[in-house]
Amino acid sequence: MTNSREHTQTGLLSYLRSIPLFRRDPLVAADPVTDRALISVIAIMTFLAAMTAGAAQFAASTTSHWQVLMASEVTVQLKPQGNRPIEADIVRASDILRGTSGVTSVKVFSREESSKLLEPWLGSASAIEGLPIPRLIAVRIDAAEPPNLTALGKAIADVAPGASLDDHRNWTRRLERISDLFMIASLSALFLVLAATGLAIVFATRGAMAGNREIIEVLHFIGADDRYIAAQFQRHFAVLGIRGGVIGGLIALVLLITLRLVGSSSVGLFDGNGFSGLALPGSEMMLATMLVISLVGLVAGVASRITVYRTIGRLA
Amino acid sequence: MANQICFYEKVDLSFDPHPTPTTLRKVESSLQAIANRPVGELVRFENVGLRYGVGTETLTDVSFSIEPQSFQFLTGASGTGKTTLLRLIMQALRPTRGMIALFGQDTSQLNKDGLTALRRRMGIVFQDFRLLDHLTTYENVALPLKVQGREEATYRAEVTELLHWVGLGDLMHVTPAVLSGGEKQRASIARALVAQPELLLADEPTGNVDPSLARRLLRLFVEMNRSGTAILIATHDLSLMDQIDGARRLVLADRRLYIASGHD
Repeated sequence: MTNSREHTQTGLLSYLRSIPLFRRDPLVAADPVTDRALISVIAIMTFLAAMTAGAAQFAASTTSHWQVLMASEVTVQLKPQGNRPIEADIVRASDILRGTSGVTSVKVFSREESSKLLEPWLGSASAIEGLPIPRLIAVRIDAAEPPNLTALGKAIADVAPGASLDDHRNWTRRLERISDLFMIASLSALFLVLAATGLAIVFATRGAMAGNREIIEVLHFIGADDRYIAAQFQRHFAVLGIRGGVIGGLIALVLLITLRLVGSSSVGLFDGNGFSGLALPGSEMMLATMLVISLVGLVAGVASRITVYRTIGRLA
Repeated sequence: MANQICFYEKVDLSFDPHPTPTTLRKVESSLQAIANRPVGELVRFENVGLRYGVGTETLTDVSFSIEPQSFQFLTGASGTGKTTLLRLIMQALRPTRGMIALFGQDTSQLNKDGLTALRRRMGIVFQDFRLLDHLTTYENVALPLKVQGREEATYRAEVTELLHWVGLGDLMHVTPAVLSGGEKQRASIARALVAQPELLLADEPTGNVDPSLARRLLRLFVEMNRSGTAILIATHDLSLMDQIDGARRLVLADRRLYIASGHD
Protein backbone atom coordinates (compact mmCIF):
# COMPACT_ATOMS: atom_id res chain seq x y z
CA MET A 1 0.00 0.00 0.00
CA THR A 2 2.34 2.71 1.14
CA ASN A 3 6.09 2.37 1.11
CA SER A 4 6.24 2.26 4.87
CA ARG A 5 3.37 -0.20 4.94
CA GLU A 6 5.11 -2.33 2.35
CA HIS A 7 8.01 -2.73 4.71
CA THR A 8 5.90 -3.45 7.79
CA GLN A 9 3.33 -5.74 6.20
CA THR A 10 5.72 -8.57 5.62
CA GLY A 11 6.39 -11.90 7.24
CA LEU A 12 4.35 -12.64 10.33
CA LEU A 13 2.20 -9.52 10.05
CA SER A 14 1.21 -10.35 6.48
CA TYR A 15 0.40 -13.87 7.56
CA LEU A 16 -1.72 -12.59 10.46
CA ARG A 17 -3.49 -10.15 8.15
CA SER A 18 -4.46 -13.06 5.93
CA ILE A 19 -6.38 -14.62 8.82
CA PRO A 20 -9.98 -13.28 8.83
CA LEU A 21 -9.92 -12.61 12.60
CA PHE A 22 -7.00 -10.19 12.23
CA ARG A 23 -7.57 -8.94 8.70
CA ARG A 24 -8.34 -5.25 8.24
CA ASP A 25 -11.72 -4.61 6.74
CA PRO A 26 -11.25 -0.99 5.76
CA LEU A 27 -14.38 -0.59 3.68
CA VAL A 28 -16.61 -0.77 6.74
CA ALA A 29 -16.00 2.37 8.73
CA ALA A 30 -15.39 1.06 12.23
CA ASP A 31 -17.25 2.76 15.07
CA PRO A 32 -15.11 1.93 18.12
CA VAL A 33 -17.86 2.72 20.64
CA THR A 34 -20.49 0.57 18.90
CA ASP A 35 -18.01 -2.21 18.19
CA ARG A 36 -16.83 -2.32 21.79
CA ALA A 37 -20.41 -2.30 23.09
CA LEU A 38 -21.30 -5.15 20.74
CA ILE A 39 -18.25 -7.19 21.78
CA SER A 40 -19.20 -6.63 25.45
CA VAL A 41 -22.81 -7.72 24.90
CA ILE A 42 -21.70 -10.84 23.04
CA ALA A 43 -19.07 -11.62 25.67
CA ILE A 44 -21.72 -11.42 28.41
CA MET A 45 -24.13 -13.55 26.37
CA THR A 46 -21.43 -16.13 25.71
CA PHE A 47 -20.51 -16.21 29.38
CA LEU A 48 -24.14 -16.79 30.36
CA ALA A 49 -24.59 -19.41 27.64
CA ALA A 50 -21.40 -21.20 28.66
CA MET A 51 -22.42 -21.19 32.33
CA THR A 52 -25.88 -22.47 31.39
CA ALA A 53 -24.38 -25.24 29.27
CA GLY A 54 -21.94 -25.97 32.10
CA ALA A 55 -24.77 -26.13 34.66
CA ALA A 56 -26.76 -28.49 32.42
CA GLN A 57 -23.75 -30.71 31.93
CA PHE A 58 -23.02 -30.57 35.67
CA ALA A 59 -26.60 -31.60 36.53
CA ALA A 60 -26.55 -34.42 33.99
CA SER A 61 -23.21 -35.77 35.24
CA THR A 62 -24.18 -35.51 38.89
CA THR A 63 -27.53 -37.24 38.32
CA SER A 64 -25.86 -39.97 36.34
CA HIS A 65 -23.24 -40.38 39.06
CA TRP A 66 -25.94 -40.61 41.75
CA GLN A 67 -27.91 -43.08 39.67
CA VAL A 68 -24.90 -45.36 39.41
CA LEU A 69 -24.35 -45.11 43.17
CA MET A 70 -28.00 -45.86 43.92
CA ALA A 71 -28.18 -48.69 41.45
CA SER A 72 -25.28 -50.43 43.19
CA GLU A 73 -26.89 -50.36 46.63
CA VAL A 74 -30.16 -51.70 48.08
CA THR A 75 -31.56 -51.47 51.59
CA VAL A 76 -33.36 -54.11 53.58
CA GLN A 77 -35.66 -52.74 56.26
CA LEU A 78 -36.95 -54.94 59.07
CA LYS A 79 -39.90 -53.67 61.09
CA PRO A 80 -40.43 -55.06 64.56
CA GLN A 81 -43.25 -57.66 64.57
CA GLY A 82 -44.77 -57.81 68.09
CA ASN A 83 -42.73 -60.13 70.30
CA ARG A 84 -40.84 -61.75 67.45
CA PRO A 85 -37.08 -61.45 68.10
CA ILE A 86 -35.82 -59.02 65.48
CA GLU A 87 -32.13 -59.88 65.98
CA ALA A 88 -32.79 -63.46 64.85
CA ASP A 89 -34.62 -62.17 61.76
CA ILE A 90 -31.64 -59.94 60.99
CA VAL A 91 -29.22 -62.85 61.22
CA ARG A 92 -31.40 -64.98 58.93
CA ALA A 93 -31.82 -62.16 56.41
CA SER A 94 -28.07 -61.41 56.49
CA ASP A 95 -27.24 -65.04 55.90
CA ILE A 96 -29.47 -65.14 52.83
CA LEU A 97 -27.94 -61.92 51.52
CA ARG A 98 -24.35 -63.08 52.04
CA GLY A 99 -25.12 -66.33 50.28
CA THR A 100 -26.60 -64.64 47.22
CA SER A 101 -24.52 -64.30 44.09
CA GLY A 102 -24.10 -60.67 43.01
CA VAL A 103 -24.08 -59.28 46.56
CA THR A 104 -20.67 -57.77 47.28
CA SER A 105 -21.09 -56.58 50.89
CA VAL A 106 -23.67 -56.58 53.69
CA LYS A 107 -23.65 -54.04 56.51
CA VAL A 108 -26.10 -54.46 59.37
CA PHE A 109 -26.97 -51.28 61.20
CA SER A 110 -27.04 -51.88 64.95
CA ARG A 111 -29.93 -50.59 67.08
CA GLU A 112 -27.77 -47.65 68.20
CA GLU A 113 -26.87 -46.76 64.61
CA SER A 114 -30.51 -46.98 63.55
CA SER A 115 -31.55 -44.79 66.50
CA LYS A 116 -28.89 -42.26 65.50
CA LEU A 117 -30.38 -42.05 62.02
CA LEU A 118 -33.72 -41.15 63.57
CA GLU A 119 -32.26 -38.55 65.92
CA PRO A 120 -33.00 -35.55 63.68
CA TRP A 121 -36.70 -36.37 63.80
CA LEU A 122 -37.26 -38.11 67.16
CA GLY A 123 -34.59 -36.69 69.42
CA SER A 124 -31.73 -38.35 71.33
CA ALA A 125 -31.32 -42.11 71.46
CA SER A 126 -32.23 -42.26 75.14
CA ALA A 127 -35.64 -40.66 74.45
CA ILE A 128 -36.60 -43.40 71.96
CA GLU A 129 -35.05 -46.31 73.78
CA GLY A 130 -38.36 -48.03 74.40
CA LEU A 131 -39.77 -47.55 70.90
CA PRO A 132 -39.83 -50.33 68.28
CA ILE A 133 -37.14 -49.03 65.91
CA PRO A 134 -36.97 -50.51 62.37
CA ARG A 135 -33.57 -51.99 61.55
CA LEU A 136 -31.62 -51.56 58.35
CA ILE A 137 -29.24 -53.68 56.36
CA ALA A 138 -27.22 -51.84 53.68
CA VAL A 139 -26.40 -54.17 50.80
CA ARG A 140 -23.90 -53.41 48.06
CA ILE A 141 -24.46 -55.28 44.85
CA ASP A 142 -22.45 -55.83 41.71
CA ALA A 143 -23.99 -53.36 39.25
CA ALA A 144 -22.59 -55.40 36.36
CA GLU A 145 -24.14 -58.68 37.49
CA PRO A 146 -26.88 -57.78 39.98
CA PRO A 147 -28.89 -60.48 41.78
CA ASN A 148 -32.60 -61.01 41.07
CA LEU A 149 -33.92 -58.44 43.50
CA THR A 150 -37.54 -59.62 43.35
CA ALA A 151 -36.57 -63.19 44.27
CA LEU A 152 -34.16 -61.92 46.90
CA GLY A 153 -36.83 -59.74 48.50
CA LYS A 154 -39.26 -62.69 48.56
CA ALA A 155 -36.64 -65.01 50.11
CA ILE A 156 -35.91 -62.50 52.88
CA ALA A 157 -39.60 -61.92 53.56
CA ASP A 158 -40.06 -65.70 53.93
CA VAL A 159 -37.49 -65.98 56.73
CA ALA A 160 -38.16 -62.55 58.27
CA PRO A 161 -41.78 -61.42 58.08
CA GLY A 162 -41.95 -57.63 58.07
CA ALA A 163 -38.73 -57.32 56.06
CA SER A 164 -38.82 -55.36 52.82
CA LEU A 165 -36.19 -54.70 50.16
CA ASP A 166 -35.90 -51.19 48.75
CA ASP A 167 -33.97 -50.91 45.46
CA HIS A 168 -34.36 -47.06 45.37
CA ARG A 169 -36.16 -47.32 42.03
CA ASN A 170 -38.59 -44.52 42.94
CA TRP A 171 -35.73 -42.19 43.83
CA THR A 172 -33.88 -43.00 40.63
CA ARG A 173 -36.97 -42.27 38.55
CA ARG A 174 -37.50 -38.95 40.31
CA LEU A 175 -33.88 -38.03 39.80
CA GLU A 176 -34.16 -38.87 36.13
CA ARG A 177 -37.24 -36.69 35.82
CA ILE A 178 -35.62 -33.77 37.64
CA SER A 179 -32.50 -34.16 35.54
CA ASP A 180 -34.52 -34.17 32.32
CA LEU A 181 -36.45 -31.06 33.37
CA PHE A 182 -33.24 -29.28 34.31
CA MET A 183 -31.70 -30.23 30.98
CA ILE A 184 -34.73 -28.90 29.05
CA ALA A 185 -34.67 -25.66 31.05
CA SER A 186 -30.93 -25.27 30.46
CA LEU A 187 -31.17 -25.93 26.74
CA SER A 188 -34.07 -23.46 26.49
CA ALA A 189 -32.01 -20.83 28.29
CA LEU A 190 -29.06 -21.58 26.00
CA PHE A 191 -31.29 -21.23 22.94
CA LEU A 192 -32.68 -17.90 24.24
CA VAL A 193 -29.20 -16.57 24.96
CA LEU A 194 -28.04 -17.53 21.45
CA ALA A 195 -31.18 -15.94 19.99
CA ALA A 196 -30.47 -12.74 21.95
CA THR A 197 -26.90 -12.80 20.62
CA GLY A 198 -28.22 -13.18 17.08
CA LEU A 199 -30.61 -10.27 17.57
CA ALA A 200 -27.82 -8.08 18.95
CA ILE A 201 -25.79 -8.83 15.81
CA VAL A 202 -28.81 -8.16 13.58
CA PHE A 203 -29.48 -4.74 15.12
CA ALA A 204 -25.81 -3.79 15.11
CA THR A 205 -25.44 -4.85 11.47
CA ARG A 206 -28.54 -2.96 10.40
CA GLY A 207 -27.42 0.11 12.30
CA ALA A 208 -23.96 -0.04 10.76
CA MET A 209 -25.34 -0.49 7.27
CA ALA A 210 -27.74 2.40 7.69
CA GLY A 211 -24.82 4.50 8.96
CA ASN A 212 -22.69 3.41 6.02
CA ARG A 213 -25.44 3.85 3.44
CA GLU A 214 -23.47 6.45 1.53
CA ILE A 215 -20.42 4.20 1.43
CA ILE A 216 -22.54 1.34 0.11
CA GLU A 217 -23.94 3.62 -2.59
CA VAL A 218 -20.46 4.75 -3.63
CA LEU A 219 -19.26 1.14 -3.69
CA HIS A 220 -22.15 0.23 -5.98
CA PHE A 221 -21.34 3.12 -8.33
CA ILE A 222 -17.69 2.21 -8.61
CA GLY A 223 -18.56 -1.33 -9.60
CA ALA A 224 -18.79 -3.35 -6.39
CA ASP A 225 -21.41 -6.07 -6.48
CA ASP A 226 -23.67 -7.04 -3.60
CA ARG A 227 -21.57 -10.09 -2.78
CA TYR A 228 -18.45 -7.99 -2.33
CA ILE A 229 -20.16 -5.37 -0.15
CA ALA A 230 -21.99 -8.01 1.88
CA ALA A 231 -18.74 -9.88 2.49
CA GLN A 232 -17.18 -6.73 3.97
CA PHE A 233 -19.98 -6.20 6.48
CA GLN A 234 -20.44 -9.88 7.18
CA ARG A 235 -16.78 -10.37 7.98
CA HIS A 236 -16.71 -7.28 10.18
CA PHE A 237 -19.59 -8.47 12.36
CA ALA A 238 -18.67 -12.14 12.35
CA VAL A 239 -15.21 -11.19 13.62
CA LEU A 240 -16.75 -8.96 16.31
CA GLY A 241 -19.01 -11.89 17.29
CA ILE A 242 -16.10 -14.30 17.51
CA ARG A 243 -14.05 -11.82 19.53
CA GLY A 244 -16.91 -11.35 21.99
CA GLY A 245 -17.50 -15.11 22.08
CA VAL A 246 -13.86 -15.87 22.82
CA ILE A 247 -13.71 -13.26 25.60
CA GLY A 248 -16.94 -14.45 27.27
CA GLY A 249 -16.01 -18.09 26.79
CA LEU A 250 -12.55 -17.62 28.28
CA ILE A 251 -14.01 -15.91 31.37
CA ALA A 252 -16.48 -18.80 31.72
CA LEU A 253 -13.64 -21.32 31.34
CA VAL A 254 -11.57 -19.57 34.01
CA LEU A 255 -14.56 -19.62 36.37
CA LEU A 256 -15.25 -23.29 35.67
CA ILE A 257 -11.61 -24.22 36.28
CA THR A 258 -11.66 -22.22 39.52
CA LEU A 259 -14.85 -24.05 40.57
CA ARG A 260 -13.15 -27.33 39.79
CA LEU A 261 -10.12 -26.48 41.89
CA VAL A 262 -12.21 -25.18 44.81
CA GLY A 263 -14.59 -28.16 44.47
CA SER A 264 -11.74 -30.67 44.53
CA SER A 265 -10.38 -29.25 47.78
CA SER A 266 -13.92 -29.16 49.25
CA VAL A 267 -14.38 -32.84 48.46
CA GLY A 268 -11.18 -33.55 50.32
CA LEU A 269 -12.42 -31.63 53.35
CA PHE A 270 -16.01 -32.79 53.43
CA ASP A 271 -15.82 -36.23 51.91
CA GLY A 272 -18.55 -38.36 53.38
CA ASN A 273 -20.73 -35.37 54.26
CA GLY A 274 -22.57 -34.91 51.01
CA PHE A 275 -19.99 -33.54 48.52
CA SER A 276 -18.54 -36.85 47.36
CA GLY A 277 -21.39 -37.44 44.92
CA LEU A 278 -20.87 -34.17 42.99
CA ALA A 279 -19.55 -34.32 39.44
CA LEU A 280 -17.08 -31.44 39.37
CA PRO A 281 -16.44 -29.36 36.20
CA GLY A 282 -14.39 -31.58 33.98
CA SER A 283 -13.27 -31.88 30.40
CA GLU A 284 -16.88 -32.31 29.22
CA MET A 285 -17.76 -28.92 30.63
CA MET A 286 -14.74 -27.37 28.96
CA LEU A 287 -15.82 -28.93 25.69
CA ALA A 288 -19.34 -27.59 26.24
CA THR A 289 -17.85 -24.09 26.67
CA MET A 290 -15.83 -24.47 23.47
CA LEU A 291 -19.00 -25.58 21.73
CA VAL A 292 -20.83 -22.48 22.99
CA ILE A 293 -18.04 -20.21 21.67
CA SER A 294 -18.30 -21.93 18.29
CA LEU A 295 -22.08 -21.59 18.35
CA VAL A 296 -21.84 -17.88 19.13
CA GLY A 297 -19.42 -17.42 16.22
CA LEU A 298 -21.76 -19.36 13.96
CA VAL A 299 -24.80 -17.37 15.10
CA ALA A 300 -22.89 -14.11 14.57
CA GLY A 301 -21.86 -15.13 11.06
CA VAL A 302 -25.30 -16.35 10.01
CA ALA A 303 -27.18 -13.42 11.59
CA SER A 304 -24.90 -10.83 9.97
CA ARG A 305 -25.05 -12.61 6.58
CA ILE A 306 -28.85 -12.72 6.52
CA THR A 307 -29.15 -9.11 7.72
CA VAL A 308 -26.56 -7.81 5.26
CA TYR A 309 -28.22 -9.43 2.25
CA ARG A 310 -31.69 -8.23 3.28
CA THR A 311 -30.52 -4.70 4.02
CA ILE A 312 -28.32 -4.35 0.96
CA GLY A 313 -31.25 -5.21 -1.29
CA ARG A 314 -33.25 -2.42 0.31
CA LEU A 315 -30.41 0.12 0.15
CA ALA A 316 -29.63 -0.74 -3.49
CA MET B 1 -11.65 0.12 -25.85
CA ALA B 2 -14.92 0.85 -27.60
CA ASN B 3 -13.26 2.07 -30.79
CA GLN B 4 -11.56 -1.28 -31.30
CA ILE B 5 -12.20 -2.60 -34.83
CA CYS B 6 -13.57 -6.07 -35.13
CA PHE B 7 -13.77 -8.04 -38.40
CA TYR B 8 -16.14 -10.82 -39.21
CA GLU B 9 -16.56 -12.88 -42.31
CA LYS B 10 -19.74 -12.81 -44.40
CA VAL B 11 -21.05 -16.31 -45.08
CA ASP B 12 -23.95 -16.99 -47.47
CA LEU B 13 -25.94 -20.07 -46.53
CA SER B 14 -28.98 -19.43 -48.76
CA PHE B 15 -28.04 -22.09 -51.31
CA ASP B 16 -26.46 -24.57 -49.00
CA PRO B 17 -29.04 -26.62 -47.04
CA HIS B 18 -26.32 -28.98 -45.79
CA PRO B 19 -23.37 -26.84 -44.71
CA THR B 20 -20.01 -28.48 -44.16
CA PRO B 21 -18.30 -28.37 -40.75
CA THR B 22 -15.93 -25.74 -42.12
CA THR B 23 -18.85 -23.54 -43.13
CA LEU B 24 -20.47 -24.04 -39.74
CA ARG B 25 -17.24 -23.05 -37.99
CA LYS B 26 -17.15 -19.91 -40.13
CA VAL B 27 -20.76 -19.15 -39.17
CA GLU B 28 -20.02 -19.72 -35.51
CA SER B 29 -16.93 -17.55 -35.64
CA SER B 30 -18.81 -14.78 -37.46
CA LEU B 31 -21.67 -14.86 -34.96
CA GLN B 32 -19.16 -14.64 -32.10
CA ALA B 33 -17.54 -11.67 -33.80
CA ILE B 34 -20.94 -10.01 -34.16
CA ALA B 35 -21.61 -10.57 -30.47
CA ASN B 36 -18.24 -9.05 -29.60
CA ARG B 37 -18.45 -6.13 -31.98
CA PRO B 38 -17.82 -2.72 -30.48
CA VAL B 39 -20.83 -0.83 -29.30
CA GLY B 40 -21.74 2.08 -31.49
CA GLU B 41 -23.14 4.26 -28.76
CA LEU B 42 -22.15 4.24 -25.14
CA VAL B 43 -25.39 5.84 -24.01
CA ARG B 44 -28.73 6.08 -25.77
CA PHE B 45 -31.85 7.75 -24.35
CA GLU B 46 -35.11 7.44 -26.26
CA ASN B 47 -38.09 9.52 -25.12
CA VAL B 48 -37.07 9.16 -21.52
CA GLY B 49 -39.32 10.71 -18.91
CA LEU B 50 -38.85 10.82 -15.17
CA ARG B 51 -41.40 11.72 -12.55
CA TYR B 52 -40.84 11.80 -8.81
CA GLY B 53 -44.00 10.58 -7.10
CA VAL B 54 -47.22 11.80 -8.68
CA GLY B 55 -46.11 15.31 -9.70
CA THR B 56 -45.23 16.60 -13.14
CA GLU B 57 -42.29 15.10 -14.99
CA THR B 58 -38.85 16.37 -14.02
CA LEU B 59 -37.52 15.30 -17.40
CA THR B 60 -39.70 14.93 -20.48
CA ASP B 61 -38.98 13.15 -23.77
CA VAL B 62 -35.24 13.22 -23.38
CA SER B 63 -33.49 11.65 -26.37
CA PHE B 64 -29.77 11.73 -27.04
CA SER B 65 -26.79 9.49 -27.43
CA ILE B 66 -23.13 9.57 -26.42
CA GLU B 67 -20.56 8.25 -28.88
CA PRO B 68 -17.26 6.63 -27.93
CA GLN B 69 -14.38 9.09 -27.40
CA SER B 70 -16.76 12.06 -27.56
CA PHE B 71 -16.59 15.10 -25.29
CA GLN B 72 -19.77 16.87 -24.18
CA PHE B 73 -21.06 19.19 -21.56
CA LEU B 74 -24.43 18.85 -19.87
CA THR B 75 -25.61 22.28 -18.89
CA GLY B 76 -28.64 24.19 -17.75
CA ALA B 77 -29.75 26.40 -14.91
CA SER B 78 -29.77 25.07 -11.36
CA GLY B 79 -32.64 22.67 -10.76
CA THR B 80 -33.20 21.79 -14.41
CA GLY B 81 -32.22 18.16 -13.83
CA LYS B 82 -28.51 17.85 -14.67
CA THR B 83 -27.76 15.64 -11.70
CA THR B 84 -31.00 13.71 -12.28
CA LEU B 85 -29.93 12.98 -15.86
CA LEU B 86 -26.53 11.80 -14.66
CA ARG B 87 -28.21 9.59 -12.07
CA LEU B 88 -30.31 8.07 -14.83
CA ILE B 89 -27.16 7.25 -16.79
CA MET B 90 -25.44 5.75 -13.76
CA GLN B 91 -28.62 3.77 -13.04
CA ALA B 92 -29.18 5.31 -9.63
CA LEU B 93 -32.66 6.15 -10.91
CA ARG B 94 -35.02 4.26 -13.21
CA PRO B 95 -36.96 6.24 -15.83
CA THR B 96 -40.72 6.47 -15.55
CA ARG B 97 -40.95 5.89 -19.29
CA GLY B 98 -38.78 5.63 -22.35
CA MET B 99 -35.73 3.50 -23.05
CA ILE B 100 -32.17 3.82 -21.80
CA ALA B 101 -29.44 1.71 -23.38
CA LEU B 102 -25.91 1.62 -21.99
CA PHE B 103 -23.11 0.12 -24.04
CA GLY B 104 -25.73 -1.34 -26.35
CA GLN B 105 -27.78 -2.99 -23.60
CA ASP B 106 -31.33 -2.06 -22.70
CA THR B 107 -31.08 -1.26 -19.00
CA SER B 108 -34.67 -2.34 -18.29
CA GLN B 109 -33.51 -5.92 -18.93
CA LEU B 110 -30.47 -5.72 -16.67
CA ASN B 111 -30.04 -7.89 -13.61
CA LYS B 112 -27.77 -6.90 -10.72
CA ASP B 113 -24.68 -8.57 -12.14
CA GLY B 114 -25.28 -6.94 -15.50
CA LEU B 115 -25.65 -3.55 -13.84
CA THR B 116 -22.40 -4.04 -11.94
CA ALA B 117 -20.63 -4.99 -15.17
CA LEU B 118 -21.89 -1.80 -16.86
CA ARG B 119 -20.91 0.39 -13.93
CA ARG B 120 -17.39 -0.98 -14.16
CA ARG B 121 -17.18 0.55 -17.64
CA MET B 122 -18.10 3.99 -16.27
CA GLY B 123 -16.23 6.42 -14.07
CA ILE B 124 -18.16 8.86 -11.92
CA VAL B 125 -17.02 12.13 -10.39
CA PHE B 126 -19.52 13.27 -7.79
CA GLN B 127 -20.26 16.88 -7.08
CA ASP B 128 -19.62 16.26 -3.37
CA PHE B 129 -16.60 13.98 -4.08
CA ARG B 130 -17.98 11.00 -2.12
CA LEU B 131 -14.55 9.97 -0.89
CA LEU B 132 -14.56 7.46 1.97
CA ASP B 133 -13.33 9.44 4.94
CA HIS B 134 -11.69 6.53 6.75
CA LEU B 135 -9.53 5.55 3.76
CA THR B 136 -6.36 7.24 2.55
CA THR B 137 -6.22 9.00 -0.80
CA TYR B 138 -4.41 5.99 -2.24
CA GLU B 139 -7.03 3.57 -0.90
CA ASN B 140 -9.87 5.75 -2.19
CA VAL B 141 -8.39 5.95 -5.67
CA ALA B 142 -7.58 2.22 -5.76
CA LEU B 143 -11.09 1.27 -4.64
CA PRO B 144 -12.59 0.58 -8.13
CA LEU B 145 -9.77 -1.88 -8.82
CA LYS B 146 -9.99 -3.42 -5.37
CA VAL B 147 -13.73 -4.12 -5.66
CA GLN B 148 -13.05 -5.88 -8.94
CA GLY B 149 -11.07 -8.41 -6.92
CA ARG B 150 -7.64 -7.38 -8.16
CA GLU B 151 -4.65 -7.98 -5.91
CA GLU B 152 -2.96 -4.81 -4.72
CA ALA B 153 0.37 -5.85 -6.22
CA THR B 154 -1.19 -5.73 -9.69
CA TYR B 155 -2.35 -2.12 -9.44
CA ARG B 156 -0.10 -0.42 -6.90
CA ALA B 157 2.18 1.10 -9.53
CA GLU B 158 -0.57 2.40 -11.80
CA VAL B 159 -2.51 3.96 -8.88
CA THR B 160 0.64 5.65 -7.64
CA GLU B 161 1.40 6.93 -11.14
CA LEU B 162 -2.14 8.26 -11.54
CA LEU B 163 -1.94 10.03 -8.19
CA HIS B 164 1.30 11.72 -9.29
CA TRP B 165 -0.37 12.63 -12.59
CA VAL B 166 -3.22 14.44 -10.80
CA GLY B 167 -0.75 16.12 -8.45
CA LEU B 168 -1.55 14.12 -5.34
CA GLY B 169 1.65 12.10 -5.18
CA ASP B 170 2.65 13.67 -1.88
CA LEU B 171 -0.79 13.27 -0.37
CA MET B 172 -1.52 9.63 -1.14
CA HIS B 173 -1.21 8.49 2.47
CA VAL B 174 -3.47 11.05 4.08
CA THR B 175 -7.20 10.82 4.63
CA PRO B 176 -9.64 13.19 2.88
CA ALA B 177 -10.08 15.15 6.10
CA VAL B 178 -6.78 16.94 5.49
CA LEU B 179 -7.32 17.54 1.76
CA SER B 180 -8.52 20.85 0.34
CA GLY B 181 -11.63 21.03 -1.87
CA GLY B 182 -9.53 20.99 -5.03
CA GLU B 183 -7.42 18.07 -3.82
CA LYS B 184 -10.54 16.11 -2.95
CA GLN B 185 -11.89 16.84 -6.40
CA ARG B 186 -8.68 15.60 -8.03
CA ALA B 187 -8.77 12.45 -5.87
CA SER B 188 -12.37 11.92 -6.94
CA ILE B 189 -11.39 12.34 -10.59
CA ALA B 190 -8.46 9.94 -10.17
CA ARG B 191 -10.80 7.37 -8.64
CA ALA B 192 -13.13 7.73 -11.61
CA LEU B 193 -10.27 7.31 -14.07
CA VAL B 194 -8.25 4.56 -12.44
CA ALA B 195 -10.16 1.69 -14.04
CA GLN B 196 -9.79 3.33 -17.49
CA PRO B 197 -13.53 3.67 -18.08
CA GLU B 198 -15.07 4.01 -21.51
CA LEU B 199 -17.35 6.74 -20.22
CA LEU B 200 -16.67 9.35 -17.56
CA LEU B 201 -19.54 11.22 -15.90
CA ALA B 202 -18.61 14.30 -13.90
CA ASP B 203 -21.13 16.30 -11.90
CA GLU B 204 -19.96 19.90 -11.46
CA PRO B 205 -16.32 18.84 -11.17
CA THR B 206 -15.14 22.44 -11.01
CA GLY B 207 -17.90 23.74 -8.79
CA ASN B 208 -15.76 23.87 -5.67
CA VAL B 209 -12.48 25.13 -7.07
CA ASP B 210 -10.98 28.42 -8.22
CA PRO B 211 -10.81 29.23 -11.97
CA SER B 212 -7.14 28.37 -12.21
CA LEU B 213 -7.63 24.91 -10.73
CA ALA B 214 -10.80 24.49 -12.82
CA ARG B 215 -8.69 24.93 -15.96
CA ARG B 216 -6.18 22.36 -14.72
CA LEU B 217 -8.93 19.88 -13.93
CA LEU B 218 -10.40 20.42 -17.36
CA ARG B 219 -7.01 19.58 -18.85
CA LEU B 220 -7.21 16.26 -17.01
CA PHE B 221 -10.53 15.48 -18.69
CA VAL B 222 -9.17 16.48 -22.10
CA GLU B 223 -6.17 14.20 -21.59
CA MET B 224 -8.47 11.34 -20.68
CA ASN B 225 -10.64 12.02 -23.69
CA ARG B 226 -7.57 11.93 -25.95
CA SER B 227 -6.70 8.52 -24.54
CA GLY B 228 -10.12 7.20 -25.58
CA THR B 229 -12.60 7.94 -22.77
CA ALA B 230 -15.91 9.61 -23.62
CA ILE B 231 -16.56 12.51 -21.27
CA LEU B 232 -19.81 14.03 -20.03
CA ILE B 233 -19.39 16.98 -17.69
CA ALA B 234 -22.42 18.50 -16.01
CA THR B 235 -21.76 22.17 -15.35
CA HIS B 236 -23.40 25.57 -15.44
CA ASP B 237 -20.06 27.29 -15.88
CA LEU B 238 -20.17 28.85 -19.37
CA SER B 239 -16.54 29.93 -19.25
CA LEU B 240 -15.52 26.36 -18.64
CA MET B 241 -17.45 25.16 -21.67
CA ASP B 242 -15.91 27.88 -23.83
CA GLN B 243 -12.47 26.42 -23.19
CA ILE B 244 -13.19 23.29 -25.22
CA ASP B 245 -13.73 23.93 -28.89
CA GLY B 246 -16.12 21.59 -30.63
CA ALA B 247 -17.51 19.97 -27.49
CA ARG B 248 -21.19 19.14 -27.77
CA ARG B 249 -23.53 20.85 -25.36
CA LEU B 250 -26.56 19.08 -23.98
CA VAL B 251 -28.74 21.85 -22.61
CA LEU B 252 -31.53 21.17 -20.14
CA ALA B 253 -34.34 23.71 -20.05
CA ASP B 254 -38.06 23.43 -19.39
CA ARG B 255 -37.67 19.76 -18.50
CA ARG B 256 -36.41 18.99 -22.00
CA LEU B 257 -32.98 18.37 -23.47
CA TYR B 258 -31.66 20.43 -26.39
CA ILE B 259 -28.46 19.51 -28.20
CA ALA B 260 -26.10 22.07 -29.61
CA SER B 261 -22.77 21.54 -31.29
CA GLY B 262 -19.77 23.24 -29.76
CA HIS B 263 -19.89 25.94 -32.40
CA ASP B 264 -23.55 26.92 -31.88
